[in-house]
Amino acid sequence: MNLLDIRNLSIELISDDKNIRAVDKVSLSMKEGEVRGLVGESGSGKSLLAQALVGVLNDKWHVHADRFHWRGIDLLRLSIEERKAVLSRDIAMIFQEPMACLDPTTSIGEQLIEAIDSSQLSGFFWQKHQQRQLAAIRLLHKVGIKDHKTCLKSYPHQLTEAFCQRVMIAMALARRPILLIADEPTAAMEITNEGQIFRLLASLNQLKNMAILLISHDIENITSWTNTITVMYSGQFVEAGTTSQIFSNPLHPYTRALVDSSPSANLHLPAKSRLKALPGSIPILQHLPIGCRLGPRCPRAHRACVVAPSVTNFHGHEVSCHFPLTSLKKPRSKAIKEVC
Amino acid sequence: MARDKIYLEEIFPSPFMQLWQVFRKTPVAMLGGSCFVFLIVLAIFGPILAPYSPIEGQLDMLLLPPAWNNDGNVSYLLGTDELGRDMLSRLMYGTSLTFGLSFIVVIISLIIGVVIGSLSALTTGLKSSFLNHFLDVVLSIPSLLLAIIIVAILGPGIANTVWAVVLVLIPQFIHITRYAVKEESRKDYVLASKLDGASPFRILYYSIFPNITDRIMGQATLAQSAAILDIATLGFLGLGAQIPLPEWGATLANGLDLFYIAPWTVYLPGLAILFAVVATNLVGEGIRHALKVRKDR
Amino acid sequence: MSELLEIKDLCKSYKHKNYWFNKKITTVLSPISFSVEAHQTLAIIGDTGSGKSTLAKILVGAEQASGGCIYLNGQALQNTSTSFKQRCQHIRMIFQDSGTTLNPSLTILQLLDEPLKLNTSFNEKKRIELIRTTLQKVGLLGDHMNFYPHMLSGGQKQRISLARAIILEPKVIILDEALASLDPSLRSQMINLLLDLQQQMGLAYILISHNLGIIRHFSDNIIVLSEGEIVESGVTREVMSKPKHKVTQKLLRNQGFQLNTKKA
Repeated sequence: MNLLDIRNLSIELISDDKNIRAVDKVSLSMKEGEVRGLVGESGSGKSLLAQALVGVLNDKWHVHADRFHWRGIDLLRLSIEERKAVLSRDIAMIFQEPMACLDPTTSIGEQLIEAIDSSQLSGFFWQKHQQRQLAAIRLLHKVGIKDHKTCLKSYPHQLTEAFCQRVMIAMALARRPILLIADEPTAAMEITNEGQIFRLLASLNQLKNMAILLISHDIENITSWTNTITVMYSGQFVEAGTTSQIFSNPLHPYTRALVDSSPSANLHLPAKSRLKALPGSIPILQHLPIGCRLGPRCPRAHRACVVAPSVTNFHGHEVSCHFPLTSLKKPRSKAIKEVC
Repeated sequence: MARDKIYLEEIFPSPFMQLWQVFRKTPVAMLGGSCFVFLIVLAIFGPILAPYSPIEGQLDMLLLPPAWNNDGNVSYLLGTDELGRDMLSRLMYGTSLTFGLSFIVVIISLIIGVVIGSLSALTTGLKSSFLNHFLDVVLSIPSLLLAIIIVAILGPGIANTVWAVVLVLIPQFIHITRYAVKEESRKDYVLASKLDGASPFRILYYSIFPNITDRIMGQATLAQSAAILDIATLGFLGLGAQIPLPEWGATLANGLDLFYIAPWTVYLPGLAILFAVVATNLVGEGIRHALKVRKDR
Repeated sequence: MSELLEIKDLCKSYKHKNYWFNKKITTVLSPISFSVEAHQTLAIIGDTGSGKSTLAKILVGAEQASGGCIYLNGQALQNTSTSFKQRCQHIRMIFQDSGTTLNPSLTILQLLDEPLKLNTSFNEKKRIELIRTTLQKVGLLGDHMNFYPHMLSGGQKQRISLARAIILEPKVIILDEALASLDPSLRSQMINLLLDLQQQMGLAYILISHNLGIIRHFSDNIIVLSEGEIVESGVTREVMSKPKHKVTQKLLRNQGFQLNTKKA
């Protein structure tokens, strides 16, 4: 059974002059214990999608979907409060700059104790404080912090970003979630510490069978840690499949460009030669192209691309393109070259 | 190659234009803004537009109630006081005294405060601390008390009131300028300017000041509402504007003895003071709100 | 090819002014020497605290060195303010965070006009022409000169930083983690642009970065700094395939999963 099943989720910003579709009909599904990577550059709407899942979006965004199932429960039929109750019990999220997410005026210990769910404590009310302390220490051990005494007493600004991210993961684990959404967890820290955080997430996934949705803008550094990858571009769904499928055989021109821009794909290129890159830049929200949003930049764009493509499935490898690569379908009419 | 002008329909809003657009969309701020502009116009043109002289009174029209009262006279729209002087003219002249002088006071203290604050931010060490804190002793004494002391030393009169209130308002501008300049100079574009070979004053003028003007304006409106109240209070106590200048506080004090027979001589100047202070505060709130919205974008 | 930039025995130390009698001196850079040639890229890697940013700031003139000498084309650059103007024309820098390197209250035209006004004596028409050609060189439109920075995307802002660096036709450009904050496709475009400019203008780049993939592709020589000293230097390919020093090996190992141990 699928843990999370979303079909055609759209997020719109409704203003006086026109509606802006920041996320346009994206589908996502996750199984239990799966580590899925959600890759997209800035402006792809991946953070919006994650925030819409957890339910922390601003009121100015309107979210609607055809199907939104969580562990078999149809969330669209529930009221907002019930939906929030279901989701907040089972989903946890960690964010990009951990030091900014922690309260700078209270110590780590106090914040950690605050995050602990009191329904998991048993005993009389005078024992609860002691139990909370023990639970906090246990959480810190789970994320690999052995020296809990100094950690509990220190303030966020005294620790490094990687340390703070571990504390955030500990706080996220306090409610024993089934799905952990990590929104670019390592963007703010040194590359040398990235490996530690990813190893921690991988061990949590294996030990507790916790599903992880790993959001990143760089396809390179999450390939070693994920089972499946979904690629988004400018709010639209582009491609999804297992990591090896995406890397060895990308079907969408955008995914191919992403894979080509990663350093490991360029190992065979001579030094200081030109890298393969798509021309142009990501469209801004005010000027979104109609139909397939990669249209103006795509080297294989044709007249058919003014209509948004539907999702085709090649043995579990889904792609949303009219003319996917290495397929039998060849474009018939002459290509429209757009000068960007 | 691409055409040169593609974005024909786009307008390019500078940060000030952005602030103005947010300001324009807030109705309360626009209300305060229009009242503020009305007061400024009145302060400049009041003496020309006033129907009667504020100093000479008509002796046969003593203590006339305002025109909406049964005994009132429509040619004296807001009534007269105990010497036969028209209340409307007195209030209009008073605008240029109370409101106009407060405006000038704020501008003078702003200029002095910003200069000292920038000097303090550009230097380091003992010099910087000295410049920053040498007027802090002024902050430790309540502003009204300090103004009274200064007036007691220099003697009463509206000019001395102005100097007293200027002195009281300078320290806050020093602090806010110093803090803002120090914060801005940590940004990379100031370093880039320095690397281009710009002198410190050029950096200050072109790179730093355009970005801190908004914060200083917000502080200036706060200072102005304090200045209006200080000038009016000093006038009320008899230490500021002397008889027969029609300053609002002095007018209010004049009417206090006759409150039971002629209440309009008290509440009309009071309402004028309230109107001016509320307008200033609304404009200040509008600026600060627009700053916050622009930062969030 | 002649040596464009030569650094001899450059060192930097700070004196702590906290104590009156017990002055503590911290050495950030022990005497180091290296050289860069035209059309070449030198990469500098090292942990945090190894002195990379201090070295970059000294080279570009934001800080003064405590000792040593910098030679540009054989001429020594002094630390005085009169030669600072000379230095800022020849050695330019691109910063990491494009969001704060552009003054938000100035249009792009005014931003790019400033170095021209301070360092050249061109009249206004010539300045606008030069700005227009520079913008086109970095891949933007001449129209963009009327924009404010908040209207541009991150990649475009980084291009404006690059335009500001090349507008004075320098000889050396220092890239202080300039590509780290960009998305991968923008990064590839930027690298292509930098390579083209290096060919056209004969620039030398000094690249400070953490991303070993970019360094491997983009640089000819590499220097490894650790605690203010050069621990290893040489041609990039050799150093990265056969690192000799402990620090280099540790750095490569930490990011080794990026280059070698990819899941097939």
